[in-house]
Amino acid sequence: MNLLLGQILNGIATGMLYALMGLGLSLITGVLNIPNFAHGALFAVGAYFLVSVVGVLGNFWLGLLLAPLGVALLGLVIEYAGIRRLYSAGHDYQLLFTFGLALILNELIILIWGPVGISHLPPALLRGGVDLGFTFYPKYRLFVMVMAGLLVAATWLFLEKTRYGAIMRAGIENKEMVSLLGIDIHRLFTVAFAIGAFLAGIAGALTAPIRGLSPQMGVDMLGIAFVVVALGGLGNLLGAIAAGLLIGVAQAVVAAYWTEASTAVIFAVMALVLLVRPQGMFGIR
Amino acid sequence: MRAFFLILISICVLPLIVRPVIATEIWIFAIFGLGLNLLLGYTGLLSFGQSTFFGSAAYVAGWLLKHYGINVFIALGIGVGVGALSALVVGYLCVQRSGLYFIMLTFALNQLFYFVAYQWTSVTGGEDGMQGVPRPEFLGLDFKDPLVYYVFVSVLFLASLWLMKRIVESPLGRILQAIRENEVRAGAVGYHVPRFKLLAFVIGGAFSGVAGVLYAMLFGIVPLEAIGFVFSGNVVFATLIGGSGSLYGPIIGSFVFIWLSESMSVVWARWPLLLGVAFVIVVLFLRGGVVEAWHRFWTWRRSSKPAT
Amino acid sequence: MGKLQRRDILKAGVGAAALGFPALLRAQPKEVVILGLWDQTGAFADVGPLNDRGMRMALEERDMKILGRPIKYVTRDGATQAGTSTRRAEEAIDGEGARFMIGPWSSGVALAVSEVAKRKKVLHFFSGGTEDISGARCHRYSFQWAASPYTAAKTVVDNFMKANPKAKRWHLLVADYAFGWSVEKYIKEVGKTHGLEFVGADRHPLGEREFSNYVQKAAANRPDAVAMINFGGDAVAGAREIFNFGLTPKIPLIMSWSSGVEELIQLSPEIRENLWVGTNFYYTADTPVAKEFVKNYRAKFKTPPGYAPSAAYSMTRLMLAGFDKAKSAEVQDVIKALEGIEVNDLLGRMRVEPATHQTLRPYFFLRCKPKKAMKEELDLADVIATGDTPLPKEYAACKDIGGF
Repeated sequence: MNLLLGQILNGIATGMLYALMGLGLSLITGVLNIPNFAHGALFAVGAYFLVSVVGVLGNFWLGLLLAPLGVALLGLVIEYAGIRRLYSAGHDYQLLFTFGLALILNELIILIWGPVGISHLPPALLRGGVDLGFTFYPKYRLFVMVMAGLLVAATWLFLEKTRYGAIMRAGIENKEMVSLLGIDIHRLFTVAFAIGAFLAGIAGALTAPIRGLSPQMGVDMLGIAFVVVALGGLGNLLGAIAAGLLIGVAQAVVAAYWTEASTAVIFAVMALVLLVRPQGMFGIR
Repeated sequence: MRAFFLILISICVLPLIVRPVIATEIWIFAIFGLGLNLLLGYTGLLSFGQSTFFGSAAYVAGWLLKHYGINVFIALGIGVGVGALSALVVGYLCVQRSGLYFIMLTFALNQLFYFVAYQWTSVTGGEDGMQGVPRPEFLGLDFKDPLVYYVFVSVLFLASLWLMKRIVESPLGRILQAIRENEVRAGAVGYHVPRFKLLAFVIGGAFSGVAGVLYAMLFGIVPLEAIGFVFSGNVVFATLIGGSGSLYGPIIGSFVFIWLSESMSVVWARWPLLLGVAFVIVVLFLRGGVVEAWHRFWTWRRSSKPAT
Repeated sequence: MGKLQRRDILKAGVGAAALGFPALLRAQPKEVVILGLWDQTGAFADVGPLNDRGMRMALEERDMKILGRPIKYVTRDGATQAGTSTRRAEEAIDGEGARFMIGPWSSGVALAVSEVAKRKKVLHFFSGGTEDISGARCHRYSFQWAASPYTAAKTVVDNFMKANPKAKRWHLLVADYAFGWSVEKYIKEVGKTHGLEFVGADRHPLGEREFSNYVQKAAANRPDAVAMINFGGDAVAGAREIFNFGLTPKIPLIMSWSSGVEELIQLSPEIRENLWVGTNFYYTADTPVAKEFVKNYRAKFKTPPGYAPSAAYSMTRLMLAGFDKAKSAEVQDVIKALEGIEVNDLLGRMRVEPATHQTLRPYFFLRCKPKKAMKEELDLADVIATGDTPLPKEYAACKDIGGF
C-alpha cells in the first residue's frame, strides 16, 4: 500500500512536469496552429542555460529565473525570424522547419557544452529528503512539484483573468475574428510562442538536477508533450494539465507492478482514450 | 517518358558509383517514400508515423524468414499484408482527426508501436534488434549476392513506381487529390472522405511494408530504429526535399537524403547541424523541393531566352 | 613529339618493371587500414570521442606504423544503431579496405557488427558486457576485451560480501538489453553461492533518466543492498536518485559494470558514500603501462581515463601485439597469433583464450572514499580487489569457434 501511495505521489510530481511541457506546447499549437517539433529542444536548452548561468553567477534561483527567460528570448527570435513566415505554409513545412530547428539546437548544444552528460546538483537548501510516513521523498522533487503547480496556476490565471489572456484564448478559437477586431495577431503569436518557450525552458531547468543533462534529453520529453496535448485537446489548457497528471500517475503506478511497460503505458493510455474519444479527453470535436 | 528513362539509367549507373548496398538502400527508401507521398503529396495527409508499417512488416517477415524459412516472395507478401493491416488499424484511429491532431496522433501511435517493439525482446530483440535475418535463395537466384539483390530490388522499385503511377492517375488518385484540395467540397460531392483517407493509408502502408521487408533482408537485421520516429521523420523530410508535389519527388529525396547523410557523416560528426540548416533553407526558400527548384530553373531559362 | 616519346618510354619502363620484377611493385609499403567504429551521435555520442582518444593514443605510440607499414586509421560513426553501424562498417571495409575493426561500444550493436566481421572476414575486437560474442555467437573473427560478465560478477559479489557479509537481500536495477541480461544472469548465479536473496530485479530502457519509479519500488522491497547493472548516464542518474530517495548511504549501492572515473566524477561526494564499484579499468591501476597511459592521457585531456578510452587503448595495443607476434598483417595470421597470446599490459596479466577469444584479465573492484578521506579532487576510490576467475567451462556457450 505504501508503495502505491509513494508511486502516486511520484506520479503527481512527474505529471506536473509533463503538464508544464504539455501546457507550453498546447499554447503554441493552439494559438499558432503549428506542430512545434522543437519543443523538446527548447526544454533541453533551458536545462543547459541553467547550468551556464549557475556556473557564472553561482546562484540557482537566479538561474531558474534567467534560464527560461533566455529560452523565451530564443523563442521570440525563432518566431520573428522564421515561424512568422510559415503560418500559411502548411503543416508539412512547419514540421520540417521546427524539426530542422530541433536538429540545429541539439547539435549546437553538443558543440557548446560537449556530448558528455552533465550532472547538476540541486541547491543546498533543497538537498536531502523528507520522511512522509509512507515514503521517503526528496525535497527537490517536492519543490519541483510545487513550482510546476505554481507555474501552471499562473499561466491559467494569465489566460483566464487578464485581458491579454482572454485575447489569446479567443485567438485559439478564432484567429480571423481576433484580427478583424483590430488586434495585432502577429504580436499575439509572438507572445504565445515566447510563453510556450518559457514554459519549456523552465521545465528543463527544473528537471536538470533530477535527470541530469544530456543533449538527447529533449527527445523523450517531446513525445510525452505530444501525448499530453493529444489527450488534453489542442489548445485546451485545463485538458493539458489533467492529461499530464493522468499519464504521470499512470506511468508511476504501472511501474510498481510491471516496470518495463511503464513508458509504453503512456502511449497505450493515449491510444485507448482516443479510441473512445478521438478528440481527446476534453477536446471539442 | 523522359523521367522514366532517367530513372532507368540511374538504376544501371548507380551501383557503379556507390556500393550496391547503398544503391539498394536508396531504392528501398524510394519505395518507402512513394508510399508516404500518396498520403502526403496526393491526399494532403502528413503521416508522421510511417515507420510503424515499415517496422511492423520488417519484424513479422524477419521472424518468419528466420524461424520458418519462408522464401523471399512470401516475405514480400507478408510485407504487403502486415503493412496494410497495421495501416488499417492506425489509419482508422487517425483519419477521424485532421490538421495538427492527425499529425500528433500518427506520431504518438508510432511511439506506442516503438515501445511495444522495445519491450517485446523475446521476439524483436528489443534494443539489439532482430538479428540474423536471412536472404534465402529461390528458384536458383542467389539473393545473397549484393548485385543480384540490387537487381531484384530495382525491379521491385520499378514495379512500385509503375503501380503508384497507375494509382495516382486513376479515379482513386483524383479523388484523393480532390480531398487534398478541399475536403469539405469532396465530401459534399458525395465521397465518403474518411473511407478514402483510410484507403490511402492502407495503400501507403502496403508500400511501406514492402520497403520494410526489403530493408530487413538487405542488412540481415531489423534494427529498433526501423520502427522509430526518426525513420518516420526521415522519409517525410526526404520526400519534402525532393518535392512532395510530384510522383518522382520521393525518388530524388531518397537520393539526396541517403547520399548526403552517408557522405557527410564521414566528414563531420556534427553533420546533423547542416541537415537542420538544409531543412530550414528548403522551407524558407525552396518550398517545392528539388522538383520545384528544377521547374523554376527551367522556367527562368526559357523566359530569359531572347525572343526569336 | 618529344614529350610523347618520353612518356611512352616511361610507361614502357614501368610496365617492364612490373612484368620483370613484380615483387618490386607489390612490395611498396601498403597501408594497414584499421577501422574504429565509434559513435558520435545517438545514445552513446559521449563515449565515441573518448574511445577515439584511446585508440589514437595507442596508434600514435607506434608512430602510425606497424611492421614497417603505415597505418591508416579511419573512423565511422555507428550512431549507436545496429543498422547504421553495420552499414558503415561494411562501407569502410569495402571502400577503404579496412581489414581490422575495433568497436562499437554498444553490445547489441556489436553483435550485429560481429556478423559483418564474420561475413567479410575481418578481425573484430570489441569491449562490452555481452557474453555472446565469446559465447553463443562466437566465431573466428571476433574477440572480446572486456572481462566476462561471470568474472565481473564473481569479483564484485565475492569481494562485496567479504566486506558486507550481512547484506543478503539484494535488489537489482538492470539495463534492458544484451549486456544487462548477461551480467544479471551471473550475479544471480554467483549470488546463489553466497546465499543471497534477490528481492527484486527491475529492467529499465537504455538511456533512462527518470529513475524515481524504479527507486521507490526498490525502497519498498527493503533490500540490504542495491546493485545496478548499467553504466554511463543511466548509472549516474540511477545513483543520484537512489541517494535522493534516501536509500544510500544507509544501504550500500553497487555499480557492477561502471565506466569508472567518468561516472564517479559526475556524482558528488555524498552520493559516493557507501558506493562500491566494479569496473573494467580504474585509473589507479598499478601497472607500468597503466601509469604511463594515465599520465599521458591526463596531460592531454586533463581528466583521468575511464573505461571507454582505456578499453580502446588496450584493444589497439593487444591487436598490434598480435601483429608483432605474427610478423604479418594478414587477418588470419594475426588472429592465429592472438589466440593464446599473453601480455603484461594495461591491466596486468592478460591472455586471450583460443577456444572462445575471450580476454582473461583482471576485473577491478573499488570502494569509494568519503569526502574526508579524499586527498585530492580525483581521489575518488581505492581499488580494494581484483578478480580474474574465468568463466567455468560448464557455462561456456561457445562450443566451437569454427574456422576461417
